[in-house]
This record gives sequence, structure tokens and C-alpha cells, in this order.
Amino acid sequence: MDSGLYIAASGMLAEMVRQEQISDQLANVNTPGFKSDRATQAGFGELLLQNTQTGAAVGRLSLGVEIAETSTDLAPAGIHETGEALDFAVEGEGFFAVRTEAGVRYTRNGQFSTDAEGNLTDQLGDPVLGANGAPVRLRADGTVAPGDIGVFAVAGAEKQGENLYTGNATGAATGKVRAGFLEESAVNPSQAMVQLISSFRALEADQKSIQTIGETLQQSAGQVGSIAG
Amino acid sequence: MNTALTTAAAGMEAQQAWLDALSNDIANVSTTGYKSLRVGFRDLLYQSPGRGGAEGTLTGSGAAAEVFGQNFEQGALEATGRPLDVALTSAGFIEVAAPGGGVALTRDGNLQIGPDGQLRTATGQALQPPVRIPKGVDPEEISIAPDGTVAAGKRTLGKIPLVEVTNPSGLQANGENGYLPTAASGPVKAAPNARLQQGVLEASNVDMANVMTAMTEAQQGYELAGKAVTTQDEVLAVANGLIR
Repeated sequence: MDSGLYIAASGMLAEMVRQEQISDQLANVNTPGFKSDRATQAGFGELLLQNTQTGAAVGRLSLGVEIAETSTDLAPAGIHETGEALDFAVEGEGFFAVRTEAGVRYTRNGQFSTDAEGNLTDQLGDPVLGANGAPVRLRADGTVAPGDIGVFAVAGAEKQGENLYTGNATGAATGKVRAGFLEESAVNPSQAMVQLISSFRALEADQKSIQTIGETLQQSAGQVGSIAG
Repeated sequence: MNTALTTAAAGMEAQQAWLDALSNDIANVSTTGYKSLRVGFRDLLYQSPGRGGAEGTLTGSGAAAEVFGQNFEQGALEATGRPLDVALTSAGFIEVAAPGGGVALTRDGNLQIGPDGQLRTATGQALQPPVRIPKGVDPEEISIAPDGTVAAGKRTLGKIPLVEVTNPSGLQANGENGYLPTAASGPVKAAPNARLQQGVLEASNVDMANVMTAMTEAQQGYELAGKAVTTQDEVLAVANGLIR
């Protein structure tokens, strides 16, 4: 069969993954502390074509493409004032740490709350940790001193959802905690829209390739193969 | 199934939840003692996209948003000159009897004298424990001290119960401008440091300028997610267009 068919089909599948990834970016334009992701496309192997009669090398042919890697851009985004005492932002590098049932996780979304025991928690009720790894306690007036909240440098941070990242803390980070502020989502809406559109057009082009190759095959079968009479 | 479609739709839902909360805030811009809602956003599960993505690649499943408590920032004080109007100038609540039994907490200090002489809130809930104003006492001579002590002239009539909870974020709004204590809020206890001011009311802490800015952002987010949904529909149309 024509390998072009499979190459174009792999292109469509890769664009569909990209569409999914960009849709996720657009869904999170208002999620505080959200970091944007990037999908990198790559060919998955090449074939060296040879002339069937002389054996001379003709050139390389890709076997198709796929999304080879997804990565997160962890650069700090802008912060803005909210006036809510329990909103926090890390200004600069570093993560807040929370203790979940599955272990310590890291986050940049500082929309915190409190629990009945007077601990600072994240939205889902998991305690936020101080620099010493113990839960942060509310002071008598119901507020939290920004300095009580730990900011950790995290190696190998990877998203797992619910604003949380897995990874290993490698000590204190340089970022400073600001109370009454939130970090904006790092998604650039216009950039994401442009990516969405160009990825969609690439998908359409792949579809046209498949259709064209399909027509070629039809002609081979219908015209070349027909017995003149 | 195309998961991109549900991812994009989750984004619309999250912005919708924010819009709903903002609408509620706007509707309560003139409600005495109202506290604006806090809406928490989060991204959803990251998982392997399946075909088209190499091993180890992850795509997110969109966003979710929900109300997770109130912003208990102090509202502005508005002088009314009415002797039975009180405003809390600190953290804390006035304890009232809840209609369904138990107690409710409120910051709405627009008090009235009920037919039975008891001090009640504007929605008719009696203070808990009750404060009775004897017949013949002119409301104009009632004085209310910062600690809640109600007196007529030199005669002490009772004390407006001032209380607090460990975690106000855990309180549940009861729809009558009050809150019900829950396991998450912790038990109701006396608030010796809470302070009242007589002759004023605490305005809603909704800031219209902030709400309008937030509304614009939420609307833009909704449109963007909506555009993503439309595009995913077109993606499926292109895939279906392979066979003619």
C-alpha cells in the first residue's frame, strides 16, 4: 500500500493531540498559577529509499509523525492584587507545597482556605506546608503571615492535575510569598488561538493528502487495471 | 471519542461557574453584611493522549471552578442613625436562632423589635440567646455598647451574642443572609474581641469595579473555550470527511 496514506494519517492523529492540548490551554486561561504546555512534534523513523534497478540511494522517507514530547513552561507569570487575605502568590521562582494523601505535591495556585483545626489548606482541603515541612497555622486574628508559607525549588516538576505538580524539592527557592495576590494563568489567549487555527489547517491539509492519495489509488485500480474493450 | 471536545467543554463550564458566582455577588451589592464569594479554579487530570502521542506525553483535561467560601473582608460602614442598627467592626458574627432549629450566624445587624419584644434580624430570626426589650422602652433611648451590651438608660436589658468560628470559609450560606456552622467551620464559640458599632450598618463588600473586571475576564474565557469547542467539532467533521 501507499505509505503516503499512513504518513498523512499519522499527521492527522498528531494534530488531534495538539488540538486537545490547546483546548486544555484555552480552558485554563483563568486558572491562577496555571503554566502553559507545549507539544513538540517529531518524525518517528525514516526509511532509506533505493532505486529498485540500480540500487542507488534515492533519499529518505519519513514513516510518519507524532507528538514526541509535551513540556511545561514554568516561567513565573504576572501577579495581581485580589484583596483576599487567603490568596497568595509566589513572586519569582518556586512552589507552594501541600500534603496530599498521595504524598507532598507542589502548586503555584495560592487560592487557599482554612480548616476547622486552624490550618491553612488548599482548595481541596490539603494542608499547605511551611519551610520546615509542617502545616502552616493561622494566627489568632485569622490571617497567615506570608513568611510562614514555604517556597520550594522543585526538580522534575510534572503536572498531575488539581493544580498540583509531582517532583522533588531541592531546598528553598528564591521566590517571595505575597498575601492578597494571585499569579495569573500563563496562557496567552491570542497565541493559543493562533496555534488552534494553524493546527486545524494542518489537520485539513493532512485530510486532503489522504483524499488525493485515495483518488490516485482509485485511478490505479479503475483505469490502469481495466481491460480495454 | 474525541476527548478534546470534553476538555474544551470543561473550560466553558468552569467560566460559567465563575459567571454564576459573580452574578450572585452583583445581585447582593446592596445586601447588608453580604460577603462576596471566592471561586477556586483548578486544572484537571493529565493523561496520555493515546494514538498520535509518544509514550510519556501528557495532555490536560480542561478546568473546573467552584465556590469555596466567602471573602470575609470588612464591608464599608454606612451611618443610618437608627439606634437598633449595629455593624460588626471586627471579625465575628451575631448568633441567631435558625428557622429550622439550631443556630445561624449573620453579620446583618439591621435589628427590629418583634411583636413579642424580642430583638430580631430583618428576616425575623431572634437573637440566640434572646434579648427582650420591655414594653414602654423607647427605641431611641436604647444604647448598644461595643461589646454588645444593650441598655435603656441605666438599665441593662441583655447582650447581643457575638460569636466566631475557627474557619469562616467552612460556613454554609443559609440563603437568609446568614451562615450555618458545619464540621468544616468548627464549633461556634464566644468572640470576646468582636466589636459592634451602633447606628451604622455594614455594607456588602462587593466591589462593583472588581466584579465588572472579573465579569469581563470570565466572559472572555467563556468565549475562548467556546471557540475551542467549535473547532473540535470542525476537527471531527474533517475526520468524517475522509470518506465521501
